[in-house]
Amino acid sequence: MAYYIVLPFFTILLVVLQRTLLDLLFGGRIGVEVSLILVIYAGFHLDVVRGGVLAFLTGFLLDCVSGTIMGLYTFTYVLIFILSYLLSPRIYGERMLFIMGYTFLCVLLEGLFIFAVYWSVYGTDVSQGLLRTYLPQALVAGVLSPAIFALFNRLEVYVHAGEAR
Amino acid sequence: MFLKKYLAVIVAFILIAVSLVILSQSLRRPGSPGVVKKLVFEVTAPVERAINSGVGSVSGAWKQYLFLVGLEEENRELRNKIAALQGEVNTYREMSLEGSRLKRVLALEDSTIYPTVAARVVGNEGSSPFRTIMINKGSTDGVKEGLPVISPEGVVGRVIESSWNYSKILLVTDYNSNIDSLVQGSRAQGILQGGGHRLLRLKYVQRTEEVKAGEAVITSGLGGAFPKGLMLGTVVRADKKEPGLFQTIEVVTAVDFSKIEEVLVLQTEKE
Repeated sequence: MAYYIVLPFFTILLVVLQRTLLDLLFGGRIGVEVSLILVIYAGFHLDVVRGGVLAFLTGFLLDCVSGTIMGLYTFTYVLIFILSYLLSPRIYGERMLFIMGYTFLCVLLEGLFIFAVYWSVYGTDVSQGLLRTYLPQALVAGVLSPAIFALFNRLEVYVHAGEAR
Repeated sequence: MFLKKYLAVIVAFILIAVSLVILSQSLRRPGSPGVVKKLVFEVTAPVERAINSGVGSVSGAWKQYLFLVGLEEENRELRNKIAALQGEVNTYREMSLEGSRLKRVLALEDSTIYPTVAARVVGNEGSSPFRTIMINKGSTDGVKEGLPVISPEGVVGRVIESSWNYSKILLVTDYNSNIDSLVQGSRAQGILQGGGHRLLRLKYVQRTEEVKAGEAVITSGLGGAFPKGLMLGTVVRADKKEPGLFQTIEVVTAVDFSKIEEVLVLQTEKE
């Protein structure tokens, strides 16, 4: 129960830090999408209810604070969570190269989905902008994902230890 | 038993269905945010502002003291004095610059025929492909969805979402921004569309129109979103090499969005 009470505050803080402090790492040119890495981690490590709520809430908050269509990130994050959840029993999700490659592909998938929505709904070709943004973002996310996975793993252990007490 | 066996499928189905409903509702009825979204604005905007101002202070202090690090052993007292005086000078300089900017905003405010609401930019999108900024005025200050936003240099964008104390502005550089415009010299009309950066495209200008680089592009007043005559940008390229009915025109925005700190919201809608 405590998980569901703390979750909204945790995700708000994560989203705000992602948009402010983490954005400074590369001078505002390349974002570090820690929220998506968290959703992928949730797909590999959490059960469907906890992870699903986390993915939904994170995507929803990102939709609220960004200037995009409401529901875009919510749907994308839920989709990526479900994909990760379905893959998790079939592969060994602790291998560093796998985590890097999978995260890279998920960020590109997110960009592709945004392109598809803008193309089909508004008839706008956003491919140039997305390539400029999402390709470097995917590379950065891929490279950083093993370290962030390790961080979330420690956090999960700490939370579970607290619950056990 | 059934629930336990198919829990994952049921949860996945519910989450996808709810997110698709939110997405489709947003596409069908864009604009006014719900109460939940307004509450999220109210919670996240002050946190974002606090973090941004903290980062700005640290960055300023770091730049201010960096030069002194190597000389600290030999000239500690003098360096401390210089640092303190530099801090004062920077403070006064910043106040002077702010005063100059506010004077320009005030002059702009005086020159418009519409009532205005002055606001500070408290958050921006940074690296996101969606070009929006957050300002510190909302519905309680008279800021509503659809109102145009300007700066002394020109058009910044329009209000797309507004909570009680904060509002989100869609910049003219965003892909979703489409503004009825006209080229000031030739009076050629077109739609100025954002491209994710300061270089915009002026679409649907017929090949028979003579448009030259260097001409100003202003709002046409058509469509009702923006009053006529507001500065949008300058033509940097106009050519007819590509086949089709229309020529290719690129426009650079008048406003440098990386440096924008204060804006004016024009209250063009009558109460």
